Amino acid sequence: GSMKAASICSSDQAGCHFLSLANLFDRVIQHSARMHGISNDLHSEFELYFLPSKNQIGRVNRNCHTSTILTPNGKEYAQRIAREELTEVILKLLVAWRDPLWHFHQNMAQQLTFSHFSSNKSLEMSDMVHELQKGVQKVAEKMQTLGIISNSLGNLGSPKALLASDGAEWRLMNDYDLLYCFRRDSNKIQNYLKILKCRTVPEHGC
Amino acid sequence: MAVSLSSVVLLLLLIIALNWLPAPGSAFLIDRDPTTSSATLEPHFTDCISRDQETFRCWWSPGGFHNLSSPGTLRVFYLKKDSPSSEWKECPEYIHKNRECFFDANHTSVWIPYCVQLRGQNITYFNEDDCFTVENIVRPDPPVSLNWTLLNMSPSGLSYDVLVSWEPPPSADVGVGWMRIEYEIQYRERNATSWEALEKQPHTQQTIYGLQIGREYEVHIRSRMQAFVKFGEFSDSIFIQVTEIPSKDSTVPFTLVLIFGIVGVLIVIMVIVASQQQRLMMILLPPVPAPKIKGIDSELLKKGKLEELNFILNGGGLEGLPAYATDFYQEEPWVEFIEVDEEDAEGGDKEDNCSSDTQRLLGLPHRNTEGFSAISPPDDDSGRASCYDTDLPEHDTQMLMVSLLPGQPEDDEASPDAPASETSERPLIQTQIGGPQTWVNTDLYAQVSNVMPSGGVVLSPGQQPKIQENSSGSERETQKGGKLSEEEQKKNEPQFQLLVVVPEGSGYTGENEARQTSTPPSSPVPGSGYQTIQPHAMETKPAATTDASQSPYILPESPQSQLFTPVADYTVVQELDTHRSLLLNPPPSQSPSLCQQQHPLKAPMPVGYITPDLLGNLAP
Repeated sequence: GSMKAASICSSDQAGCHFLSLANLFDRVIQHSARMHGISNDLHSEFELYFLPSKNQIGRVNRNCHTSTILTPNGKEYAQRIAREELTEVILKLLVAWRDPLWHFHQNMAQQLTFSHFSSNKSLEMSDMVHELQKGVQKVAEKMQTLGIISNSLGNLGSPKALLASDGAEWRLMNDYDLLYCFRRDSNKIQNYLKILKCRTVPEHGC
Repeated sequence: MAVSLSSVVLLLLLIIALNWLPAPGSAFLIDRDPTTSSATLEPHFTDCISRDQETFRCWWSPGGFHNLSSPGTLRVFYLKKDSPSSEWKECPEYIHKNRECFFDANHTSVWIPYCVQLRGQNITYFNEDDCFTVENIVRPDPPVSLNWTLLNMSPSGLSYDVLVSWEPPPSADVGVGWMRIEYEIQYRERNATSWEALEKQPHTQQTIYGLQIGREYEVHIRSRMQAFVKFGEFSDSIFIQVTEIPSKDSTVPFTLVLIFGIVGVLIVIMVIVASQQQRLMMILLPPVPAPKIKGIDSELLKKGKLEELNFILNGGGLEGLPAYATDFYQEEPWVEFIEVDEEDAEGGDKEDNCSSDTQRLLGLPHRNTEGFSAISPPDDDSGRASCYDTDLPEHDTQMLMVSLLPGQPEDDEASPDAPASETSERPLIQTQIGGPQTWVNTDLYAQVSNVMPSGGVVLSPGQQPKIQENSSGSERETQKGGKLSEEEQKKNEPQFQLLVVVPEGSGYTGENEARQTSTPPSSPVPGSGYQTIQPHAMETKPAATTDASQSPYILPESPQSQLFTPVADYTVVQELDTHRSLLLNPPPSQSPSLCQQQHPLKAPMPVGYITPDLLGNLAP
């Protein structure tokens, strides 16, 4: 479903705004959890059908195209960086995965290696990334409106501004790596969103 | 396509055979082949686990190389692949007694691949499968503070639902949102071997449905990260048991109350039955109305004490008798008295005090303008088995009454087909209302003085019958006879039908039979004694008689009756003579008055007696 910012209350009270922000957060977190679940399922299925060679796991450089994006790798880091930075990281990740997932789905639909069930999941995954990105953008705008974060984010609506690179590196990944990387990144996104919410609106279910 | 499918199937079989499904990033073998002897096994890592996604630990084993089991002989190195130029570092913290390497928060990075290896003196034991990312090796701690509450009981009281609640593990920082845990509850009966697992869910409470009363259940919970595979350890078990004690307390007094209630109701019923015994007797066993004359004891009659009987009937005046009677039959309330009360005159009877007993008995108004319509028997029982049936007298009484009282007021209601007739079984009589009365004061209870050999019955009416001209006579109508009225009207005399009592008690004979009996000649003598109702040859009765219905009728025959010496209605039987004749008290002096013999109890007793032999000799 689309990520629409449904305001429960229409008045301009501060509490009401925060309540709607908390609701927004809940929606995007729920969305990201589902996305991570699907990516996990797809990865497990992929492993079931295609046993990876042992060497694949042990490769030093896992060729994830999002490795260039600096992301906090621990709880303290995630709590220490500014909210704007965290929000930006989330959005960068989401933007970076839109095209690869779309192409992955296209490939999967043509290939017969995966079951129909997996093909549906890849499509759903691709759509979710798109929707989640819009949702997080709305959350960021809401936070900017409320003054929680500054306007230093710039133009969040432009994906190109967020792309760390030209975006062609993802074509070098094979399917298995793609699934592995996206599974990792979706977990990151889920984690960061939860931390961001508990840092912003902690009284609403943390 | 088929080739690829078959290859997939083969691969699947291979996986199952090897019992090996490596999780990405966690290449630790779950089940080592036990057959391989430990001697040939090289040092390896047994497991790496993170409890809170902030730290993690790795354990190793020397394998078959026991000389490497001493601490310090084997060293742990790890590689954190956060940059292409990363290198192997040694374990930041050793716990030798556990052969454990602990990585604290500073050395733990999530989403970054780690690889660990064991190094001996000169040998490096490295397994490429021992690379992982921290989020994939997270096994959360079990929840704490488990407790349960009873939700509800089933209506049968045999099963119940329980709500189990707990708190997330303290090591997992769920408040910050760093860890999202989902829980799995498992429960089993005390003596069972396998556990029942409920669906995994992220909330800190869950309901277990359908536990059985009296059994003890064991419940434990384990947790894992959402959308991940590895579960943590199970929590400590809690035990759930609900016995029947609470329900018993509520049922025991309930049964006692029920028992006492039933006993009390039974006692009340018995009391009621005992107190209202006589009334119940009345209801359950209605008394057979035996004709009893008030004030007369049947015992006296049997003993033959006529003197006392006479005294009872006459003596003490009116006042004494009722008092005696009431005393006498005080204890028999179910005895129905034949009340003969002069004051109990029906409406319209005031002109003439001498309404016949019959009329009074039946409650008919004297000379009322209303006519009889069809009178149907009150009950539905149309079959008359025997003439001794108690219902018969009433039935016949009505018949008799109707027929004996043709002299209902003149004019109107000459319509023969006024009332609706009932079923064909029941005899209907419609009296013609019209014309002067003939038998206006004929009593219903006419005493049968004699039964003629021909079958006729000699009645002794209590009063002088007022024989008048009868222009229309009574009519009778069956359902079929609609033409009777016209014919009847032509007659001057009422046509009567005799009621023949057959000795064997087989009921009543039909009209035709009755007609066949010969009739003694009789001439109507007004003011004389009794009349004889005899089978009368009715010549002109074609339509009605041809109906041949077995309905008993009786039509009084006034002009042909003979009147003998007046005999009271209720002649007192003085005694029985040797001939088994009834010695009757002589009737009082007859007067043309019609008021005679109204109250046989008050009138002077007739003297003399009449035997059946003498009846024939009597002549007016």
